[in-house]
Amino acid sequence: MKIHLSLLSIRLRYLFKYFTPKEHKLPRVTFLVILSGFLVGGYYLFLRIFNYLQTVEIIGPAIMARTIEMILFVFFIMLLFSNVISSFSTFYNNQELHFLFSLPVLPTAIYLVKFIENAIYASWATLALVIPLIIAYGVSNKAVFIFYPVTFFAFLIFLTIPASISSIIIFIFVRLFPRLKPRNIIFIAICFIFLLILLYIKIGNPELLRILETENERELLMFAANLTTVGGIYVPSTWLGNIFKNFVSPDFYGLIYLLLIILTSLSLIMLSYIIAEAIYHKSFLLVAEQGGKEEKRRSPLMKFQKNPFYTFLWKDIILFVREPVQWVQLAIFIVLLIVYIFSLRRTPIYFGFSLWRVIVSFANFAYVSFVIATLGVRFIFPAISLERKGIWFVHSSPFGLHRMIMTKYIFYTTFCVIMIECLLLMANIFIKTEPIIFSFSLVVGLITAIALVSINLGLGCIFPQFNEDNPSKIASGSGGIISALVSIAYIGLTIIIFSGPVHNFLVHHYFKRQINLNFIIISFILYGILSFAGIYLPLRFGIRAMEMRDY
Amino acid sequence: MHTLNINNLSKQFDGVWAVKNLSLKLNKGEIFVLLGPNGAGKTTTLKLIAGLLHPDTGEISLNGIDLKKEPIKYKSLIGYVPDEPFIYNKLTGREFINFVAGIFGVRKDLYEKRCDELVKRFEIGSWIDEPAETYSHGMKQKIIMCQLLIHEPELILIDEPLVGLDPKMGKIVRETFREQAERGKTLLISTHTLSFAQQIGDRVGLMNKGELRFVGTIEELARVAGKTDIEEIYLKLTEGI
Repeated sequence: MKIHLSLLSIRLRYLFKYFTPKEHKLPRVTFLVILSGFLVGGYYLFLRIFNYLQTVEIIGPAIMARTIEMILFVFFIMLLFSNVISSFSTFYNNQELHFLFSLPVLPTAIYLVKFIENAIYASWATLALVIPLIIAYGVSNKAVFIFYPVTFFAFLIFLTIPASISSIIIFIFVRLFPRLKPRNIIFIAICFIFLLILLYIKIGNPELLRILETENERELLMFAANLTTVGGIYVPSTWLGNIFKNFVSPDFYGLIYLLLIILTSLSLIMLSYIIAEAIYHKSFLLVAEQGGKEEKRRSPLMKFQKNPFYTFLWKDIILFVREPVQWVQLAIFIVLLIVYIFSLRRTPIYFGFSLWRVIVSFANFAYVSFVIATLGVRFIFPAISLERKGIWFVHSSPFGLHRMIMTKYIFYTTFCVIMIECLLLMANIFIKTEPIIFSFSLVVGLITAIALVSINLGLGCIFPQFNEDNPSKIASGSGGIISALVSIAYIGLTIIIFSGPVHNFLVHHYFKRQINLNFIIISFILYGILSFAGIYLPLRFGIRAMEMRDY
Repeated sequence: MHTLNINNLSKQFDGVWAVKNLSLKLNKGEIFVLLGPNGAGKTTTLKLIAGLLHPDTGEISLNGIDLKKEPIKYKSLIGYVPDEPFIYNKLTGREFINFVAGIFGVRKDLYEKRCDELVKRFEIGSWIDEPAETYSHGMKQKIIMCQLLIHEPELILIDEPLVGLDPKMGKIVRETFREQAERGKTLLISTHTLSFAQQIGDRVGLMNKGELRFVGTIEELARVAGKTDIEEIYLKLTEGI
């Protein structure tokens, strides 16, 4: 036990340093102010939604309960995926493990330390979202004081469930397929979870997949309120949702659900512990042996590349393709986006009115922009940090830091522009948007993609973490949070600026009111200033920060 | 003729001098070895010359090209190997060498000729086409040596070149460095391996607490210390300063 605690204390100290890195000299106060701003903003947003739902007669509370369940169900699925992706590198593909396994400690001690580390890394961003959700829900429902610590505690326990399930899946898959490469194991595990979820929803809760054919808003709300549960009664997120509901004024059922979630968590932790005891060390050795049996690789860099720009570009592409943590997450993102775009096609009933089409098109633009911002934080922000110690080579070579940053900028901009334009194009075709709004969203989408790449790459230069090799961990650090907030602020301001002209267009088009040209011109000037700031400043400051830095 | 000119170079970290008022001139075809205890400022000096650190004061020029004024031109003439050699783990050794050649703009015909020559010289086997994450430290060092020489730099900066190499490879590296010097290249090497310094150095520099305390040949160093054995010379001088 003493060994467990000393290993754990070393990891916790490391984690503390990770969340408050000295490397980029970001003052802790600044970080805390930004995080507090995010928490307060999230709280007010949730509070507004919940307060609105309180005003909806009869079905309001039911809708609120379903909304909470929906959010928690989405969190649960996302946590499963993020835990699976990070658990392979935490349990198997980690330099530190060779040192730990050489110590006179039991593999289960290493397992427990790595389990906690994995759960924290994969879940802490979710925790930052749930804190304002709990407080807003409690305030809106005038909950008693005990509601807050109990729901927070229940959520912490809830986080261990996907962490345990993921570690069990990874251990079993590595043991079953010891000759498979890490990328294939992660891919199979992800597909397995995806199929499991789909099968569960299809059998256990089929109404979740049903599309309601109605134009009536109240009928739609009744449908949502009458869904028995969002995830189904066997899913921990539903139990957690019930803890939220039943601890507003604590009752017996709340306690039952709390016990249920604690017992499930303990059982799964025990099960994963037993599995780890039986197979972790053996499977770790198998994976370590596999490391030396890589097949010969073919790539464009096997041949001589004349142009330094293409040389660097190929290097980046090859490293991305060969890193499963990277491309598996990108593949999931793209699949989810395709599902989303095609789901727009499946709900044609709302798009009979052209007014709806404009509104949905505008909302779709906002959604797609947020998705690109998320992709930016996850993939573009860590791009500079992932050069790791190779940065000495780039900086001491004639290629230089400036060209390195611009090469990455061109590559990511091309990728994001293609992605955002394809998504907007497909969505607008499915929605049958008005031509003027269609073209408008494509142009603004183009500028948004360019700005989001600049923000994430620029801030990645300002807050690099050259000692970290896991891109997910880089993205979830303090610099990543700042990058996410700046990206969201940029998109938010874009939407605020254009909501006026779009509204103006709608009332002109459908109610034949006069168009306010001055207002539209001012909006475009403001957008021009915002985009100039979004595109130019982060890159400028990012390049400067990299060049001023000592390596 | 002086190739490398360092004038009054200084660098502080948190108020502590890592390098203080360092002035040094290296000749074309010279091998200069920097000696000194841990924390003497050797690595900082190499990093300053490689352009990886910003000096607080001082100028560095190579063949008359100032690092501050023309950094790209300057850097196209140097090759630097840090104390912890780095290769992108997911690239193969060959891909990494190709990558370096591409970044330095080496001509295709020269690249092919040099690459074959270096692979033979450093006795690199078929593992060159396996990913670097499977390499031992010594294998990585061999790839690092190849990438260093593939673009034929005018100034070679190496921090601890012998770490991880077996005696046979150590000999090959020593011979390679000597050949490079004979072809007019300048080498600045930082090391703790005193016998290596004695065997290869045309001149040595003894650093301590950021200052260059002695510059001269091994014989001159022995005269100053009043000893003949390199280890005794080193211990006497580093204790004395």
